[in-house]
Amino acid sequence: MRSTRLVAAAGALALLLAGCGGGGGDQKSAATDKPTGTATLWVRDSAKGFINLLSEQYNKTHEGKVKVTVVPSANFVQKFGTAAASGSGPDIASIDLVYLPYFASKGVLDDLTPVLDSLSWKNGLSPAHKKLAVFEGKTYALPFTAEASVTFYNKDLFKKAGLDPAKSPKNFAEMLADARAIRKLGPDYYGFTMAGQCGGCNIFEFAPHVWASGGKVLSDDGKSAAFDSSEVTDALTFYRQLWTEGLMPPSAKTDNGSVQPASFQSGKVGMVNLGAFFVQTLVADKKIDFGATPIVGKDGGSASFAGGDEIAVTKGAKNKAVAYDFVKWATSEEAQTILAKNAIVPVRTDLIDKIYAPLDPRYKVLGQAMAVGQTPYSVVENAIINDNNGPWSKLINQAVFGTGDVKSAQSAAQTAAQQIIDKG
Amino acid sequence: MTKTISPPVAPSRPVARAAEPRRPWLSTRRRRQLMGMAMVSPALVVVTVFFLVPLVMTFWMSLHDWPLLGDHSFTGLANYRRAIHDTDWLHAIRFTLTYTVLITPILLVAGLAVAFLVHRGGRAARVFQSIFFLPVVIGFAAGAFLWLYLAQPGLGPLADLAARFGLAGRDTNWFATATSGLLVVTAMVVWKVTGMQMLLLLSGMQAIPGELTEAARIDGASRWKAFLHVTLPLLRPTLALVLVFSVAGSLLAFDQFYIMTAGGPSNGTITAVYQIYRTSFINFDLGYGAALSAILMVALAAVSAVQMLLLRNSDHS
Repeated sequence: MRSTRLVAAAGALALLLAGCGGGGGDQKSAATDKPTGTATLWVRDSAKGFINLLSEQYNKTHEGKVKVTVVPSANFVQKFGTAAASGSGPDIASIDLVYLPYFASKGVLDDLTPVLDSLSWKNGLSPAHKKLAVFEGKTYALPFTAEASVTFYNKDLFKKAGLDPAKSPKNFAEMLADARAIRKLGPDYYGFTMAGQCGGCNIFEFAPHVWASGGKVLSDDGKSAAFDSSEVTDALTFYRQLWTEGLMPPSAKTDNGSVQPASFQSGKVGMVNLGAFFVQTLVADKKIDFGATPIVGKDGGSASFAGGDEIAVTKGAKNKAVAYDFVKWATSEEAQTILAKNAIVPVRTDLIDKIYAPLDPRYKVLGQAMAVGQTPYSVVENAIINDNNGPWSKLINQAVFGTGDVKSAQSAAQTAAQQIIDKG
Repeated sequence: MTKTISPPVAPSRPVARAAEPRRPWLSTRRRRQLMGMAMVSPALVVVTVFFLVPLVMTFWMSLHDWPLLGDHSFTGLANYRRAIHDTDWLHAIRFTLTYTVLITPILLVAGLAVAFLVHRGGRAARVFQSIFFLPVVIGFAAGAFLWLYLAQPGLGPLADLAARFGLAGRDTNWFATATSGLLVVTAMVVWKVTGMQMLLLLSGMQAIPGELTEAARIDGASRWKAFLHVTLPLLRPTLALVLVFSVAGSLLAFDQFYIMTAGGPSNGTITAVYQIYRTSFINFDLGYGAALSAILMVALAAVSAVQMLLLRNSDHS
């Protein structure tokens, strides 16, 4: 008798807990319903600076509400992947665009093709973002925030070294000459720095050298790696020379991306390839007079990595009505203006000159770089490129800093990358 | 735990039992048993939910091709066959063994030396004992970050010290080669774990009756000789215990390398657990990761079993 009561009580408790677990949002809404209630949104921590301003603005002007959860960037893919696999993910996810092909291919995102087609500003959205969101002909996310890589250079050091600060380097040879001149300023001064042990950094910062020289690191469909191409050899050899001549600080070899910005901020490093976020850091710092210029190729030309986030609705979303409404709004002029004011490159190429470029003289370069930027497409991007122990990262580390030769490092990396791609 | 001595009743004779007056259902003995069950059950539940169930699930997953997202399919022992030929995995195992072989004797000698030094009365010994134990109460990750900063080229105080002593330049990057990276990590772990080893060995030393050492000293043995020939042999069971701890800990090393070397340079410092982490959560290959975990678990159980066996022998020799 007593035990029956106990079981009943336990059952009731379990029901209660299950009810709580749903966050009170158990009633599902379809995409076409009236957007009311609350939808959950996950973003990576690089969005910390603006995401609350954005969600506040949305919540103020709409009946539906979004609730933001900030997830550490380094664990975003793992966290979102695990959550999506167990059905406990958010309604809306802001995902680093390089991971879009993976998540789209795994069927965890809603097909947003009709939403994209319904936008009157569809053609003004960043082409790289649009390309990455497509899997087998369908679009699974909308462009949200943009980022572009450029070369930052310290104008004060350029002056001190007798270089013209108005004349930024136009090819590998000029970069090398400028780096040498700055190195001569003293034992603590270095010409250039990089994050030698960071796959994600180097697709953003190093790969544009390859693209600007007319090469590729992956085929357009992502089905074959091109780590052993001659353009990659040239760019690696160029970096290797910067290293062996002592033009990079010793920390570059093992930097996982955390030291590099600080090195440039210290005012003792002449050049570094980084993104738009760094403009704000340097402006706030007020210590360095710096310039931004496109990343160059071997004999001229320029290229950039078009990065940033895309915003998607998850397949298991509970409040699809608000989710759909929010992702549409996130690409609007109102939302993109908030981003631009917080030093994020907008994804609207049609609005760059109006809402972004006027804010800082250096933003024009970044905006242009984003509009023509490239992004490698691969469903296994994380494993071959962003993994700090993956083939791409190992290639950079061995070829630039290693004792072996560049070519053999390339062929080893090519084999390893192709293996991962073929396995899928 | 007091043992209840039950009278030798013969339950096989129901005739005699029927003659006795009927016992209450909740006899003292039964109550004790139920009480015992109730007290053990939380631990049992925890072990079942957090160890046995995941263990069985891990093994089950290891027999599948099981990506993080998407469908999984049964593949039998394919994951295990793959592991045997996986050069990355074999490299990780080799590195883990190297690390274990390097650090175990250092830890043991350091722990023993420190324990020997503080094994005496007096306030000073207690103060030093606390000082040596302090790093133990810091988390492993926090310790790793601390040392990562200390050894940072051009920035950390260790680099500065080394430069003053003429050991290395101010800008020497100690994480630039796998060997020097391994040495810095080893130094951090020794700093972090020696205190624990010291405490365990100290309690072993204190269990040895003082008269034995005293007798040896009266017979003319020096303090060092008495330690070598009296204390050390009697300390063997404790030494074995400390060894099991440190070997198991070293074979499972992960966070210190994840934080301090990030597996680099050129993947030169990837341990077995690191490789499992990479397989499961970077490459999203949960099935293969589970198989690697199972292999590591069997290896660890075997190593511990061998050590336990040695411990038992030393007890009876």
